[in-house]
Amino acid sequence: MNQVKQSGRAEYRIIRYSPWLVHFNTGACNGCDIEVLAAITPVYDPERFGVKLAPSIRHGDILVVTGAVTKKAAERLKILYDQMPCPKFVIAVGACAIDGGVFSKSYSVVGGVDRVVPVAAYVPGCPPRPEAILDGIVKLLDLIKKGGVVNNGCSGQT
Amino acid sequence: MGVVDKHSLLESFSVGRGVVKPSRKLYIIEPGNVRRVFEALIEKFGYGGFYLSTIVGTDLRDEGRIRLDYYIVLLPEEETVVLRTFIPRENPVIDSLVDILPGALSGECETHDLLGVVFRGNPFLKRGFFAPRDVVEKGEYPLRKDSGV
Repeated sequence: MNQVKQSGRAEYRIIRYSPWLVHFNTGACNGCDIEVLAAITPVYDPERFGVKLAPSIRHGDILVVTGAVTKKAAERLKILYDQMPCPKFVIAVGACAIDGGVFSKSYSVVGGVDRVVPVAAYVPGCPPRPEAILDGIVKLLDLIKKGGVVNNGCSGQT
Repeated sequence: MGVVDKHSLLESFSVGRGVVKPSRKLYIIEPGNVRRVFEALIEKFGYGGFYLSTIVGTDLRDEGRIRLDYYIVLLPEEETVVLRTFIPRENPVIDSLVDILPGALSGECETHDLLGVVFRGNPFLKRGFFAPRDVVEKGEYPLRKDSGV
């Protein structure tokens, strides 16, 4: 535990001050997407936390996933996740991204995001408020600071 | 040429009428006539006189047939009209519109993939357009009531 804490602090010091987001829709109804876009407007001023959208997945620190993961989007989500540099974290935004929501038993849906990639934070709601999304990001940063996030998909590599 | 002419043209092909929510006029047409209706629409009113919005397929298992709804929008009135046709469930074949109306491509490919309707003359039909791979490999059409997926 102690070791995890320390390594967490050393590796993640920089990302805590400027987490760059990448937004990916795996089959949402666009309700959550609108709230994610609202959350990065000056009204909610995400840059006070250093949060902004990354120009490319290869510059991203946090992957914001919205929507139930369909079988076709699952392959793309895995490819995107593999392209992100380490350390990397995933936030599942909305009821569908958490466990598939109302679509969970559909023939074309895998389920929640955690069936495909490891998820560090869940933001519930249908759709969640922009404040809730930002709160989820801030809570995740807090968790990173404390070294609470260990399953970040980068075992052995930094 | 006003919207009345368009309605009378559709009326001349129809074998039944009705209303679809919200108060959209519905014309029931023989499956063999669907292509002819669109040819007549193009010939009389041109490509600017209407557009094909979407094609909706429904599996009516108890009646043993598949219902196809062609949603068209009459321009410049922007009035939505529904052309409805029924094809047998065992042999769901209907003429394609994709060579005269390229906008029919996505609707036909979707209906083929999810319901198994064969649009005769559409070279772009394939499985896996929307359906995931495991459903395709099982050879099932997910929107059929007895598909079990």
